[in-house]
Amino acid sequence: MEKMSRVTTALSGSALTGRTMHCHLDAPANAISVCRDAAQVVVAGRSIFKIYAIEEEQFVEKLNLRVGRKPSLNLSCADVVWHQMDENLLATAATNGVVVTWNLGRPSRNKQDQLFTEHKRTVNKVCFHPTEAHVLLSGSQDGFMKCFDLRRKDSVSTFSGQSESVRDVQFSIRDYFTFASTFENGNVQLWDIRRPDRCERMFTAHNGPVFCCDWHPEDRGWLATGGRDKMVKVWDMTTHRAKEMHCVQTIASVARVKWRPECRHHLATCSMMVDHNIYVWDVRRPFVPAAMFEEHRDVTTGIAWRHPHDPSFLLSGSKDSTLCQHLFRDASQPVERANPEGLCYGLFGDLAFAAKESLVAAESGRKPYMGDRRHPIFFKRKLDPAEPFSGLASSALSVFETESGGGSMSWFVDTAERYALAGRPLAELCDHNAKVARELGRNQVAQTWTMLRIIYCSPGLVSSANLNHSVGKGSSCGLPLMNSFNLKDMGPGLGSETRLDRSKGDTRSDTALLDSSATLITNEDNEETEGSDVPADYLLGDVEGEEDELYPLDTEHVHPEEPEYVLPQEAFPLRHEIVDTPSGPEHLQDKADSPHVSGNEADTASLAPVDSSSSLLSVSHALYDSRLPPDFFSVLVRDMLHFYAEQGDVQMAVSVLIVLGERVRKDIDEQTQEHWYTSYIDLLQRFCLWNVSNEVVKLSTSRAVSCLNQASTTLHVNCSHCKRPMSSRGWVCDRCHRCASMCAVCHHVVKGLFVWCQGCSHGGHLQHIMKWLEGSSHCPAGCGHLCEYS
Amino acid sequence: MFVARSIAADHKDLIHDVSFDFHGRRMATCSSDQSVKVWDKSESGDWHCTASWKTHSGSVWRVTWAHPEFGQVLASCSFDRTAAVWEEIVGESNDKLRGQSHWVKRTTLVDSRTSVTDVKFAPKHMGLMLATCSADGIVRIYEAPDVMNLSQWSLQHEISCKLSCSCISWNPSSSRAHSPMIAVGSDDSSPNAMAKVQIFEYNENTRKYAKAETLMTVTDPVHDIAFAPNLGRSFHILAIATKDVRIFTLKPVRKELTSSGGPTKFEIHIVAQFDNHNSQVWRVSWNITGTVLASSGDDGCVRLWKANYMDNWKCTGILKGNGSPVNGTSQLGNSNPSLSSNTPNLQNSLHGSSAGRKHS
Repeated sequence: MEKMSRVTTALSGSALTGRTMHCHLDAPANAISVCRDAAQVVVAGRSIFKIYAIEEEQFVEKLNLRVGRKPSLNLSCADVVWHQMDENLLATAATNGVVVTWNLGRPSRNKQDQLFTEHKRTVNKVCFHPTEAHVLLSGSQDGFMKCFDLRRKDSVSTFSGQSESVRDVQFSIRDYFTFASTFENGNVQLWDIRRPDRCERMFTAHNGPVFCCDWHPEDRGWLATGGRDKMVKVWDMTTHRAKEMHCVQTIASVARVKWRPECRHHLATCSMMVDHNIYVWDVRRPFVPAAMFEEHRDVTTGIAWRHPHDPSFLLSGSKDSTLCQHLFRDASQPVERANPEGLCYGLFGDLAFAAKESLVAAESGRKPYMGDRRHPIFFKRKLDPAEPFSGLASSALSVFETESGGGSMSWFVDTAERYALAGRPLAELCDHNAKVARELGRNQVAQTWTMLRIIYCSPGLVSSANLNHSVGKGSSCGLPLMNSFNLKDMGPGLGSETRLDRSKGDTRSDTALLDSSATLITNEDNEETEGSDVPADYLLGDVEGEEDELYPLDTEHVHPEEPEYVLPQEAFPLRHEIVDTPSGPEHLQDKADSPHVSGNEADTASLAPVDSSSSLLSVSHALYDSRLPPDFFSVLVRDMLHFYAEQGDVQMAVSVLIVLGERVRKDIDEQTQEHWYTSYIDLLQRFCLWNVSNEVVKLSTSRAVSCLNQASTTLHVNCSHCKRPMSSRGWVCDRCHRCASMCAVCHHVVKGLFVWCQGCSHGGHLQHIMKWLEGSSHCPAGCGHLCEYS
Repeated sequence: MFVARSIAADHKDLIHDVSFDFHGRRMATCSSDQSVKVWDKSESGDWHCTASWKTHSGSVWRVTWAHPEFGQVLASCSFDRTAAVWEEIVGESNDKLRGQSHWVKRTTLVDSRTSVTDVKFAPKHMGLMLATCSADGIVRIYEAPDVMNLSQWSLQHEISCKLSCSCISWNPSSSRAHSPMIAVGSDDSSPNAMAKVQIFEYNENTRKYAKAETLMTVTDPVHDIAFAPNLGRSFHILAIATKDVRIFTLKPVRKELTSSGGPTKFEIHIVAQFDNHNSQVWRVSWNITGTVLASSGDDGCVRLWKANYMDNWKCTGILKGNGSPVNGTSQLGNSNPSLSSNTPNLQNSLHGSSAGRKHS
C-alpha cells in the first residue's frame, strides 16, 4: 500500500526529474519494462528478474521476483512486459516456451500468478493489450502466436504465421482488434484478433529477420520495423497496402525500436550485435542519428521510454549487467559534431568547397539552387508545423576556379616546359630562363637567373640587353647595373667581384675557349668546350645588341648560332650524364675532383684577364684586379637555392642546380639535393609534365633519382602473327619470318611510336590508329575486336 | 581572381569532405547520406558526376585518393566504424556509355570499435599505406604489401592517442632525412585542458611510431590538421583548424645534436594564429606549393592565408561559400553577379572575391 501511494504522487507530479545514472545488475538483462507510474522498472534476464525503483539519484532494488531455491527454466526470461493499466500485473516470456504472469498484489513472497505452457519453443515476445486488462499476446520461435485471456487457464486463440519464427508481436494502439507480428523471414503480418484463421495482411518488410516493431503512439497507424538488414522502416498501415514512409540506415542489425514520446518523428533503436550504443533518429533525416547514448559496454538488450508523455528519459538494460537511465540532454549528438564543411585545394589553385547550406546562405540572403535539389518525396509531402525541423541538411558544393593568370599554377607549368636546363652554354641557359621568368612576370626569378649568369659566365657574355631590360636602366655596361641588384650580402664592390668570378668559371673550363674568343672563330671548337662557354661571335652579337636596346630579344642573337648547336645539344647531355653519374654518390671521387678543378682555376685564372682584355669589353678590364676566394659565391648561391626551396619554389632550386651543375653541387649535401629532386619530380608528375620530369630525372646526378626512370623499362613483345615471344632484337619474327610490328592501317613497319590494343595485339602508327578510331572502334586489322587503347 | 562554379551535388545530407586527386582532374565528395560521388572535369571545365554509390551504412566522414601509381583508388571512412578501399574498374563498356564508371570495394577495415573519423594514404615513397584514426583515440596504420592486390591490408601499427581523434595528416616530405611522421588532432571537447595535437614519428630502430611532439598550446577541439606539401623544405609546416586557424613550423633539430636513437626533436614555432572566422574553423587545406593556406569556418567563408617574404602571414582573400563576393575584398567589384539560375546545369559563373596575387 505504501507503494500505491508513491504511484499516485508520481502520476500527479507534473514532470519527471532525475539524472543520467546506472546501476549494476547481478546478471545480464534480456528485457526491461516500465511501470505506468514511471517510477519503477522491471529487469528480466536469464538469471535475473527484479524490480527497481527509479529515484532521483539512483536505482533502488525493490523486489526480487526470482524466488524459490532451485532455478526454474520458467524464470529464464526472454521478455518482460508490465501492464500499462494495472501496476500489479506483469508477464514474462520464458526461454522454455512458458508464458508467466505475475501479480505484485499477492501477499506471498512468490508473486507468480499464472503459467501457460502452450508454446513448444522459446517465447520471444509478450504483449498486453493497451486498453483491455485481461488480454495477453505471445509470439514464439515455434511460429505461433497465442492470445490469452488472463481470466482463463489457457489460450483463447492461436495464430499461425505459416512461416518462420515470430520475433515480435505488438497490439495496435489505433485499432482495438489489430496486432502486428514480425517474422524471421522478413515478413510482417497484420492480424485481426477475432480471426485466427488467417492474417489480414502480409508484406515483406526486410531482407532477413525482422526483429522488432513498434506502433506509433500517436494514433496514426504508423508502424516502425527493424531488421537484421540494419534498417528501420516506417510503414503507413492506414492505406490498403502498407507503404514505406521512411527508411533509416543504422550501422548494425536492429534489435529494438521504440518511438519517442511527444516527438512524432523520433525513434530509439539498439542493436543486438557489435554496436552497444542506443540511437535516437529523426526519421526524416535517416542517415545521421539525432542523439546517441554510449554508456553501455556490451549489447543493449532492452530500451524503454520512462514515461509515455516524457521524451527526455530513456531506460535501458544491457548484457553488460547494467541498468541505465539516459537523459536526452546528456546524449551526444553526432549531428552537432559532424563536420559541416569540406575544403580541398586543387592542383591549379582551384578550391573545392562544400558547406552546409545554412552556413553559406545565411548571410548572403539568397537561396542557392532553387529547384534542382531533389528532395526525397516524403519531404515535400509532409512537414509538421508542430515540430520544428529545418529540413534535411544539405550542402552546397562549389569549385572556386582561378581565372587564368591569377593564383593559378600556370606559371609553374609554363616555367617547367619552357626552361632550358642543359644542352646549351650556361650563359645562354641563364638568359633563356631569365627571359622565360620575366615573360611570366616573375621578376625576382628572372633577376636571379641574370645574376647567376653574371656570376658564372665571363663578363663579356652578359647580355647587356637582358640586363637593361630586367633592371630597367639604360646604361649598357656592367658596373652600375650590378649595384642595383639588392642582394644583401653583396657590397658595393659587387660588380668587380662578379666579373672576377665569372672569369674564373670561364677559364676553368677550357683554355681553348680563350683562343676562340680572342680570335673570334670556329664553332667546332665551341662544341667541345663546356656548356658555360659561349663563342666569341656571340659576344659580338651582344655588343651589337646594345644598339637596339629596347627590344633585345635573345633569339635574335642566338639565331645565327642555333644550327651549330643542334648537334651538341643532343650529344652533350649524354656525355654529361655518363661522366657525372658515377662520381655523384661517391664522395671520395667527388672530393678528388674538386681540388683538381680549383687547381686548374688557379692556373688559368691569371690568363683570364689578359685574354679577356683582348676581347671586346674594355670597360671590365679594370675590374679584374681584385681577387676573391673561388667559392665566394657558392655560399651565396647555396643560400639562394635554400631560400627558394624554403619558399616553396623547388622548381627554381632544382633548375638552378641542374643548370649550374658541378659549380654548386658540391656545396649542397646529397640528401638535400635528392629531396629537392624528388619533390620537383613529384610536382611535375602531378601536372602530367612527364617529359620535363623525365628530363629532370635524366639530368639529375643523385643516384636515387636517376634510377627512377630505369625501373620497369623492359618490354616483352609477342609476334602479332604467331603469338610467340619475339627474340630480343630486330623487327622480324624468328618463327614466321615476317615483320612483326606492322601498322594495321598502312601496312608498313612501325618505327617510333607504336600503339597497340592489348586485347588483340594489333596496332600501328599512333597517328594512323587515332585517325582510324575516329571512324570506327573495330580493329583496323579486321579481326573484329572492339579495340581499347588506354 | 576566382570564379565560383556551383555544382548541384545532389547529396541527400551534409557533405563532409571534398578531395581532389593527384592530378587535380577528379574530385570525390562524401556525405552523411552514406554515399561517395566521383566528379570528373570535362574539357570545358565542368564537373560531371561519373559515379555515385553507397559506401557505408553510416555517415561518410572522409574520402581520399591514393597516388595514381596504385590505380584509381579511393579510401573512405565512416561513422559505421569501418574504413573501405575502393577501386575503379575500367572497361565496363556498358557503364561507359552512360558516362558512369564502376567502383568496387577492395577491402573493409573493421578494426575500429568506434566511428572512424579520418583516413589518409601515406606519401607515395612509403608504398601503399593507409592511416585511419577513430573516435576511441587509436590511429591505425595499414599496409598493402602487394600493391597489385588492394584487397589485402595488414594492420602494421596501432598508436594510442588517449583522446578521441578527429583528423590525421601524414608528413609528405620525401626526404630521407625526415622519417615518416603523422600528426593527429583530437576533437575531444571535455573541459580538461589537454593538448589536442600529437605528432608521432617512425623510429627505424624500434620499428614503431613514438610520440615526437605534443603541441601544448592547442587545447581546444581540433577539427582538421594538415601538413603543407614539403617541396624540398628542411622544415615542416603544420596548419591546424581549431577555434581559430593556426600555423606551426617544425624545424628538426640536427640529429647530431640529439641522441641518435631517440625521436627527432623539433623547434616548434607558431607563426600565425587567426580568429577571423569568428567561429569554429572546420577545414584547412594547403595549395600545392605549401605557400597558401585555405581555411573554412562556421561563418561559411573560405579564407586564404599567405606569408610575405618576412614570413608574416596575412589574409589574401575571402570567398563566400555560395560564390557571392564579400564586401571589402572584391577587387572585381562584381556586386551584381549574373546569377544564371535559369541555366539548367546550374553552373553559375559568379565572380567571387579576389585572391589575386603574383607568385614570386
